[in-house]
Amino acid sequence: MRARRTRAAAECRCPSRRANLRAGLALATLFVVPVAFGQDAAQWLQRAATAARTLNYVGTIAYQRVGRIETSRLVHFSDAGNEFEKLTNLDGPAREVIRQNDQVRCYYSDAKLVRIEPRALHNVFPSLLPQQLATLTEFYTFRKAETARVAGMETQAFVFEPKDGMRYGHKFWADVSTGLLLKARLLNEKGETVEQFAFTDIQIGAKLDRDMFRPPFAAPPPDWQVHETPTGDVAPQDTGWMVKDLPPGFSKVIEGYRTLRGKTGQVAHLVFSDGLVAVSVFVEATPATPQAVGPSQLGGLNVYSRPLNEYLVTVLGEAPGATVRQIAYSVSRR
Amino acid sequence: MGQFQVGPGDAVAGGFTGPKPEEISQLMDGELDGGRVDEVCAGLRDAGCVATWVCYHVIGESLRGSATVTSGFSERFAHRLAAEPTVLAPQPRKTTPAAAALAIAATVAAISVVGWVALTTMPTAPTALATARQAAMVRAADARPPIDNEYVLVHQEYSPTTAIQGVRPYLRAVAASEPDARP
Repeated sequence: MRARRTRAAAECRCPSRRANLRAGLALATLFVVPVAFGQDAAQWLQRAATAARTLNYVGTIAYQRVGRIETSRLVHFSDAGNEFEKLTNLDGPAREVIRQNDQVRCYYSDAKLVRIEPRALHNVFPSLLPQQLATLTEFYTFRKAETARVAGMETQAFVFEPKDGMRYGHKFWADVSTGLLLKARLLNEKGETVEQFAFTDIQIGAKLDRDMFRPPFAAPPPDWQVHETPTGDVAPQDTGWMVKDLPPGFSKVIEGYRTLRGKTGQVAHLVFSDGLVAVSVFVEATPATPQAVGPSQLGGLNVYSRPLNEYLVTVLGEAPGATVRQIAYSVSRR
Repeated sequence: MGQFQVGPGDAVAGGFTGPKPEEISQLMDGELDGGRVDEVCAGLRDAGCVATWVCYHVIGESLRGSATVTSGFSERFAHRLAAEPTVLAPQPRKTTPAAAALAIAATVAAISVVGWVALTTMPTAPTALATARQAAMVRAADARPPIDNEYVLVHQEYSPTTAIQGVRPYLRAVAASEPDARP
């Protein structure tokens, strides 16, 4: 009863409040949620999110997808409310992602390019609205799995098994003592791994300092390009676009217009989530140069684009190809 | 398909023996013998061969479930192509890191007829021609639309999995060099 009241209060406040308040509410909701349902599921997710943000750690991470493995070095440092994170790929052309709090900078040495994403991480977790947490237990079966060693650490595995064919399965391995996720896997309906992130070695509580997060150079050399994504989130507004046949369990998180580099005119962006993954719908005016359409896949990310009158619709998310395609084909004018 | 079918004899222009339909198909599939690529590309100046090429692409698109052309497309296309060939020259492609390799794979699908015909009628485009040759090596069946990195990055922002994994999902955007094989 108490949980229901609190959730209702959070729901009616969310749309009108700023993101950081939403963060607080959503986190508060996470604490309340177990009373109503999925105690373990919410606790595990909460613990993993907190650990990822607050611990200091350094390790090597392997990113695996359909027959490919790429390794990267990951360093995370949290100090007096400031968070620093650096990801350097160890294979292929040198590329680096440096995050300082909400700002993400991607350095592509092969293309001599710096991409600056000003507010890339600021409202991720809060976008999990209370009703989405409810759908988590409605559309996934949560269970604790085996204990296993990952990167030399004792971990507890836990699984979100989908109850229908519209979503992937998720398996996470969390460090027993801190809750930090050391391995995460996406599984298709046949139980095959679609994508996996796994530490191959890790030091938790490592001695780190800010100097480790210096960008490769103070100012980019003159022959480098700097691409800065215009600041500002999606300004929530009615775009006139809708998804008629939304897969069950998905509900709208945000809808609005974005200004994106390389796009003429504003792009309508709608985000739908089932509590564990998100699917984005982008609608742009038909580009001047011909675009290939159809399905694409990048590990756990499926993409489907199709022309719709004078528009190009692109749908992408951590969901099976059929789900993304279904959404793409049910985008229409309201 | 019958109306598009062009026999080898139909493609003769000024004593030049045009490519056979099966050679056009092989070119699209990247299975054409390297020594024949130039000649078959040159043969695509012929309207009949363009019709065959378009026809095969329409079939391919239909099989992939992404056909969007209407009836009479081939005729209209050939007509407009003849009217303004230079306008159809491909723009120099800006290569973003993730798109660089994708662009090559996508060349077949993205610029298809437009690119090929324009390239082969432009003697001063050695780089583009090299790209086209490379594209000929890519099996058309494997050509998938390039993934827009811009979209991947802004999507990440709202993905709940980013919350529990921090910056790790950015590996997708950073490590991405080409899309995976068709499932």
